[in-house]
Amino acid sequence: MSDNPVDMRDGATIGAKELLARAAAAETRAQAGLRVAIRDFFLSEDGRLDERTRAALAALLRQLVESVEAEIREHGVRLLTGRGENALAATLAASGLSATDRLARAGLLRDPALMTELIARVRQEALGVALPMQAADDPERPSLINRFVQHPDRLLASSAMAVLIAESRRRGGPDAGQFTQAELPAELHHRLVWWVAAALRERSLAAGDSLPLLDSALSEAAQRSLAAYDEGDRLEAAALRFAAAIDARPHELADLLVESLGDQRIVVFIALLAHALGLSYETARELVLDPAADRLWLALRSLDLPREPIAQIGYALCEADPHRDLESFADTLDAAMTVDAAEARAALEPVRLHPDYRAAMLALRRSERLE
Amino acid sequence: MFDPVLPVAVGRLDARGRLIEAEARLLELNERAGGNVGAPLAVPQIATIARLAQRLGIAISRNVIAADGEEDLDLWVRAQPEEGAVRIEVSGWRPRPAWQPPAAEPGRDGDFLRSAADWMWETDASLRITFLSIEAGARCGFDSSAMLGQPLTRLLSLAQDEQGNLPILTAVAAQARFDGQKAEIRGTGRMVRLEATPRTDAAGRFAGFVGAAHMLDPPAHPPAIEVPLPLPEAPFGGFPDSFSQRLDRALRGPLGRIIANADSISAQSEGPLKPDYAGYAADIANAGRHLLGLVDDLVDLQAIERPDFATVPEAIDLADVARRAAGLLAVRAAQSNVRIDKPALDEQLPVTGEFRRALQVLVNLIGNAVRYSPPGGMVWIRLERDGAMGCVIIADQGKGIATEDQERIFEKFGRVDPDEQGGSGLGLYIARLLARAMGGDLLVDSAPGMGARFVFMLPCRD
Repeated sequence: MSDNPVDMRDGATIGAKELLARAAAAETRAQAGLRVAIRDFFLSEDGRLDERTRAALAALLRQLVESVEAEIREHGVRLLTGRGENALAATLAASGLSATDRLARAGLLRDPALMTELIARVRQEALGVALPMQAADDPERPSLINRFVQHPDRLLASSAMAVLIAESRRRGGPDAGQFTQAELPAELHHRLVWWVAAALRERSLAAGDSLPLLDSALSEAAQRSLAAYDEGDRLEAAALRFAAAIDARPHELADLLVESLGDQRIVVFIALLAHALGLSYETARELVLDPAADRLWLALRSLDLPREPIAQIGYALCEADPHRDLESFADTLDAAMTVDAAEARAALEPVRLHPDYRAAMLALRRSERLE
Repeated sequence: MFDPVLPVAVGRLDARGRLIEAEARLLELNERAGGNVGAPLAVPQIATIARLAQRLGIAISRNVIAADGEEDLDLWVRAQPEEGAVRIEVSGWRPRPAWQPPAAEPGRDGDFLRSAADWMWETDASLRITFLSIEAGARCGFDSSAMLGQPLTRLLSLAQDEQGNLPILTAVAAQARFDGQKAEIRGTGRMVRLEATPRTDAAGRFAGFVGAAHMLDPPAHPPAIEVPLPLPEAPFGGFPDSFSQRLDRALRGPLGRIIANADSISAQSEGPLKPDYAGYAADIANAGRHLLGLVDDLVDLQAIERPDFATVPEAIDLADVARRAAGLLAVRAAQSNVRIDKPALDEQLPVTGEFRRALQVLVNLIGNAVRYSPPGGMVWIRLERDGAMGCVIIADQGKGIATEDQERIFEKFGRVDPDEQGGSGLGLYIARLLARAMGGDLLVDSAPGMGARFVFMLPCRD
């Protein structure tokens, strides 16, 4: 965005040598750029990220890595200072190449499990904020979770409160970014912490002889960060505990599902569904986020939900997600209502299998197609 | 944002979408669109909702914009299936300007509030808290997590304004944005100023607030940070002051380019173009200019709202400043076919104030007067002495300002007509702050239909 295109590196414009070198490299770079453009053009439109999702994903990824990085670096600096290694601490504290860029360049961030989680998070949030709000007919009536906060049953009240706290924490304050937690499942968080520690080490390689000191400080800082992390604090985990505490009867479930969408509480909606279906949060989220929501309609039918709440849920999701088509939902709705609960349960069996087992079966099927 | 009492027109369609009956307003809209009783509903947006409600078998509410002759109408439509028919309720009925400032989306309002707030909050329609910046409690002496789900009044003790009203309750009734609700954080003795924008559901009902809180007093003990070494650079944020600078840098350049390009498309300087595209480009340029004005105002606001903001006391001639301001607006006035009657060259009114700021206030006032004047109208600028104050009076022949709106126009983002085009809602707020910072004031007196009269006063210099 700069109006001044001259690159002022350290106050000096680039020298003739560098210009010549750059010109020599230009052809290769132009070719490489063209290859990327061609590949980009022929990518299938199905499943491609739209610009909003792409931007949100980039921001989430950066924020995630940076918050882990800040934590490890801060603690590492403190450890080194405590041990009298002030010079080394300063090296570690100095900002350099961003860890996000380094990890992306190394291809580590292409980790399918990490990207699956992050893409789902971004889509879930986009869907949540776009849901049409639905105010109660009685303006004095508190919204869904707020009613449970007042509930005489302490377990219900405290689990509802935990959802509000987790959501407020995730959304952060006016200067959001610095305080929000990484909020990844433990396994992914574990992986990310060590990646970041390694990237920080690489950046401080100039330390030379004192590398062993740096290594011990970084690994201690990483371990501290791992020990302090509790995946049970995640919003998704809190919502699942809330859903389990409500343990909705079949006749209550429909209203809860519809109302949670009307309050834009997509995470609570998914958790209620996961609990009712006996699925993991991730699997239920997959059903909800899939724009071709056939599995979701079957899932709702397997819970024996009547037509009206299914129509309300489908309508809300179609309004919130430009990839869904209301007309084709209306067509599907009549078909879905002809499926009885037992049939729907049978059709959903594959979804209930262990996720790793499902992934392995899919991988085999894919490899067969490639042969 | 709209009338609290919406005129509702009810109608019924049969299973095939044909109009069975409708109340006058809806019937007329349908007839103007070429429809009739017994024929399919001729307003496509409403027909779509009715058909969806019938196919899905549920009530559906939506906000739609329907063309009515030259005008666009902003409508709230609710369709409810009933045995073999669909009942439709249409309310709202507000004409919509061709282009609106892009501030209607609650998400964007949230970003805007966030930019200056100490902490953020949200409530549901019953004013129970649904979201609180979690670290706010630690900073301000309350337990954020215990307040979630509680009525807002449990966290805050709301204070009445000078008229004895609670701005937040007035805002609930009107479903409007509010600013300047003062409150004490219970049990801490600390005061905050609240502002918020309402959320509206698909049926146009109030669904809660998205709000910001500004601390009115500095914390007694700044939180001690024990840092052995300079900490790594924070990845986000920065100093509050740098916000306006970044905003300025980040937006002014790109906006300038958008405006310039849109203007040249609209002028068809690169070759002929379909007229509607040229029209769109003109809309883009206007929207860009609106945003640029907003950036200017925000940058200004950031400086003026600082507690240590001060003006330079200069010896100025208010008559001279008024003549210069009128001169600056002469072209715009001529374009709108409005005449400005400015003080004669021999008039003088020596006062104390900062020249640049006094000029800014007068340009704002005269600019408004020109904007609200009918074509062929006149804007008068008169000078007067009132005790120790030198006054400039700017009067126009516009539609005037109702008594109940006269304070609102000086509020931050305060507007009498929220649908009105242009302006950021900050101009008069800034102007009054400036006038008061110079030891003067800015007042209005006006009655609807009588034009508006603004009085800008500064202390006389004898």
